[in-house]
Parts: sequence; C-alpha cells; structure tokens
Amino acid sequence: MKDVLQIVLYSSLFIHLLLTAVAVWRVWRGENVVDRLVGVELVTTLVLAMLVLVSLIEQDSIYIDVALALAALGFIGTIALAKYVADEKLF
Amino acid sequence: METIFQLIAIIAITVGTFFSIVGVLGMVRLPDVYARLHATGKVGVFGVVLLLVAAVVWTPLGWARALLLIALLMVAGPVVAHALSSAAYRIGIPMKRPVRNDLEQK
Repeated sequence: MKDVLQIVLYSSLFIHLLLTAVAVWRVWRGENVVDRLVGVELVTTLVLAMLVLVSLIEQDSIYIDVALALAALGFIGTIALAKYVADEKLF
Repeated sequence: METIFQLIAIIAITVGTFFSIVGVLGMVRLPDVYARLHATGKVGVFGVVLLLVAAVVWTPLGWARALLLIALLMVAGPVVAHALSSAAYRIGIPMKRPVRNDLEQK
C-alpha cells in the first residue's frame, strides 16, 4: 500500500507541474490585466498544492508552514492588486 | 490503522488532483474573465483542501497546521474571486454572452 501512495504522490506532483506550465502560458497570453491577475492567482494556488504534495512526500510538516505563508501573502497581494486595478490608486 | 490512513490519503490526493485538472482546464477553455474566475476558484478551494485532508491524515505532527491552512483557504478563495470580479467589472471588461446583468438594472 505504501508504494501505491508514493506512485500517486509523484504522479500528482508531475500533473501539478504540467498544470502550472499551462497556467503560466495562460498568464503570458492573457487578453486584459484581470486575466493575467487571475492566472497569477491560479499559479499561486498550484504552487501551494505542490508544496503540500512535497510535504506529503518528504513526510515533513515544515512545508505546510511554507504553504501557509504563501497562501496568506498571495491572498493579500492579489487583493491589493485587484484594488489597484479597480481604483487606479492603492490608498 | 496505518493502511486506512494511506487509503484515505490516496483517495483524497486523486480527487484533489482531478479538481485541479478540471479547474485549469476551465481556466483555459472558458470564454471571458468572469467564467475563468469561476474555474480558478475550484482549484484553490477543492484541489488544495483535499490534498490537505491527505496531509492531515498522513504527515506526522502536521495535522493542526493543515487544518489551519484549510480554514484559511476556505475563507480566502471566495474573497479573492469576488475582489477580482468586481475589479474586472469596474474597469469595464465586457461579458461574452451575458444571460443576466443585475448590476445594470439598478
């Protein structure tokens, strides 16, 4: 059962890597600014998923702290960018 | 007991990866920004949260942090989607094939 879990973990990590490549291509091709912002948010979420997968593979829960920090900062950053895009000024 | 946890982790990871694939596929295929926001919300909430359920079950000593991250993602996902869609609407990005526009009838 343990090697089945390893296979599932590594294949999921590989799939998330491909999805991140697709999302980065999507950001590069985005028509307008909010499209690119949505793409960046998607890339952040996919990197978050990969961090959780690495913490599962390495059996070390320090990566979940990294994922926590990334989630918090990515969330704040996207909210600030969305406000800047909407109002042309941040404060 | 060990194999039950591994089984839960395997099922959670496969379903989480499936939702990530569907979310990114929606992100690429859907016509305009608002529909794409709908798709990326799925990846953020369903994909990562299911992976975290596997992390709660399987990583040693990490279950409290994983639950905290699940709570953060459950709150942060919709808020970001609302912020982005209101920013998109405010700078006037048109909707392709709008069925109903509640904001216009005001």
